Amino acid sequence: MTPRLLSALAVADFRERVRRPAYAVVLLAAVGLGYLAAPATNAHWTIVNTGAYRGTYDSAYIGTVTALAGALWLSAGGFYVVRTAIARDERSGVGQLLAATPLRTSGYLVGKYLSNLLVLGSMAAVLAGTAVVMQLARGESRAIDPVALLLPFAVFTLPVLALTAAAAVLFETIPVLRTGFGNVVWFFVSLATMIAGQSAGAPLGGLGVHVFAKSMRDDLAAHGITVTEISLGLMYLDVPPRAIEWSGVDLAAGFVGERLLVLLVATVAAAVPAIWFGRFDPARAGVSVREAERSTPAAIAAAVPPMAYPRLQTAPRRGAAFARLLAGELRILTQGVSWWWWLGAAALVVAGAAAPARAAGPLLIAAWVWPVLIWSRLGAQAREHGVEALLDACSSPLRRTLAQWLAGVVLTALVGAGPGLRMALDGDLPGWLAGVAFIPALALALGVLSRTHRLFQALYPPLWYAVVNDIAGLDFMGALAGGPSPALVATAAMLLLATALTTVALRRFSV
Amino acid sequence: MFELIDVTKVYKGQKRAVDGLSLRLGTGVVGLLGPNGAGKSSLMRIAATVTRPTSGRVLFDGTDVVAKPDVLRRQLGYLPQDFGVYPNLTAREFLSYLAAVKGLSARSARARVDELLALVNLTEAAKRPLGGYSGGMLRRVGIAQTLLADPRVLIVDEPTAGLDPQERVRFRNLLSELAADRLVLLSTHIVSDVESVASDIAIVANGRLLRRGTPEQLLRGVDGHVWETVVGPDAIATTQSRYLVSRMVHTPRGVRVRLLSPAAPGPDATRVTPDLEDAYLAAVGATAEVGR
Repeated sequence: MTPRLLSALAVADFRERVRRPAYAVVLLAAVGLGYLAAPATNAHWTIVNTGAYRGTYDSAYIGTVTALAGALWLSAGGFYVVRTAIARDERSGVGQLLAATPLRTSGYLVGKYLSNLLVLGSMAAVLAGTAVVMQLARGESRAIDPVALLLPFAVFTLPVLALTAAAAVLFETIPVLRTGFGNVVWFFVSLATMIAGQSAGAPLGGLGVHVFAKSMRDDLAAHGITVTEISLGLMYLDVPPRAIEWSGVDLAAGFVGERLLVLLVATVAAAVPAIWFGRFDPARAGVSVREAERSTPAAIAAAVPPMAYPRLQTAPRRGAAFARLLAGELRILTQGVSWWWWLGAAALVVAGAAAPARAAGPLLIAAWVWPVLIWSRLGAQAREHGVEALLDACSSPLRRTLAQWLAGVVLTALVGAGPGLRMALDGDLPGWLAGVAFIPALALALGVLSRTHRLFQALYPPLWYAVVNDIAGLDFMGALAGGPSPALVATAAMLLLATALTTVALRRFSV
Repeated sequence: MFELIDVTKVYKGQKRAVDGLSLRLGTGVVGLLGPNGAGKSSLMRIAATVTRPTSGRVLFDGTDVVAKPDVLRRQLGYLPQDFGVYPNLTAREFLSYLAAVKGLSARSARARVDELLALVNLTEAAKRPLGGYSGGMLRRVGIAQTLLADPRVLIVDEPTAGLDPQERVRFRNLLSELAADRLVLLSTHIVSDVESVASDIAIVANGRLLRRGTPEQLLRGVDGHVWETVVGPDAIATTQSRYLVSRMVHTPRGVRVRLLSPAAPGPDATRVTPDLEDAYLAAVGATAEVGR
């Protein structure tokens, strides 16, 4: 495992990723985050809540808050950007080429980890560049201090991104986590990290918020101001915060040592899966020997006679086919879904129908997270399985897209049928109906736009979690009192559906 | 019936895949022959309405199918060079789905799918998930789906990839039968795939049409230009630099070389009857990769 080998692996993989159009979108998101981190002086939102005060927008303050925002949000969202490094090698066949070389498994995994870190690091670099621009744009201090601006990125952002890069490698090597389920798990992992990582007692310095908080408290205390809570996130303030001079973070040697230790832990964590990683050997994919032997292409081919080509007798006739198209889309949407998933869905339906009326809302919320991985297939399956090559030469792509959405509607209605029945008995059905239309429309639009299932898997859990936390304004299910009107949710659903249809139509005319 | 007029395709980065190519096609098998990277697949995708040309027109029965692709799509069977399947669907489910996509009525779709599964001899495996199929079997599924709607135009891109030699022969025979009353546009870089079935051959390279004609016309073009001679192993490099060499066979007397030259390459050279590979090589030049 020489440095040259590792850098060659990491750089080749990094180049492959950054030459994809999606990378530009990722960098744009980093620029957006940089903008959010230094809001206008009269803005009501903030990413770092320090009560009614903030630091003057100089290099130290902008660098620190932007770096902290990067540690929080780039790790939460960046995971979804980098989590397919190994899967791509498997899909492209490059993995098998590498597996046949003397390259050690641990070297391969560390190379992937470094590549992940390069991608995330490039996002942090763009964030740092944006911080410079924002400091100049806000105009409270025009003196750029490169050390004060960049050091926070090295001590706050980079170690957390290293952990994210390692987690992405770890998730890809554990069969259950390499699926879409892993995307949902990461949402909750990052949520827990966001909360626990901000405490002063967080291991290895956590997100580093307490270091910033201590320094901010000290400076505020010097002005005779006491602030009890300092936290990181995206918050709304009733009154825009007042600027005070802030002297910057005091980086103790112990804290810097902890951050170096985080980098070491991340590197080791990325190499540990070498113990179980199958090195692209299909025989180690967890299929029983008997099943593997029975279902190998060779075994099936042996049972199949060669092509015969008798004459075709039936003249095909055109006719009504939409119902069969819908059935086909439903079959494709639910292909490969295991029996235990259906059992869970049936349990949710029964529980929803049998529970008292007041429990209908919570049960609907529970039911409408269950199919998250199946919904995420909408709009992305044909491309992901390479079937687009066949479908592109067929007529009526819009009819097919509509059938996909309807298949999603059927699934959504089916899984939410129990609570839906309760709500119907209470005369509260419109909200449920709007949700039935909205969720598959959202999944379809995101799938069609991104051409991958990951975007929905990354965005739906936070949206769902907002409903769990009683944020009525975001209730797209009709589960909470005081939520948006069903007509509004239904309109949003139609707009999303129209977006998906328009994208499909435009794509057909642009290839 | 089918016409490509001055078709050009320039991809991002200014790569000119197809360069002002025109072809007028009727019924029968038309073999599109060319080296890898000649622009065949781009041309096939344009013909199949999957890709829009940068300029030029594609006419089907007089209708511009670049503007109105559905006119052709209703009459089209297309087998791309690379395609995927839904791995958890069975062959019957997958074909039934595509039949619905193509707008076939329920009754005729059912019967047609059964017949096509029998045609490609996959009836036995029809209830198994496609994820367990071999490359050759998936190719058969691909061939079956092209025939679902009994198309008037069949566009098949490198169709024999993954088929064993026996299946290749059978598939060529099937194409010959189908071409009796429809257009079959067959793209390949394997000369033997087209020489036995194509009544019309178009040789392309660098996105341009180099030659077009019946196999006999193409052979006439190199008649008298094909020679065989035996050279020593140390003379091979010199021979290859001076002539277009179509094949070499090591013999006890030395290396027997088959080459193209307007005049006899040496006193011992004998003139031989040209075959289609010679004609192809003459057209695409020394840089072509000749597959067998």
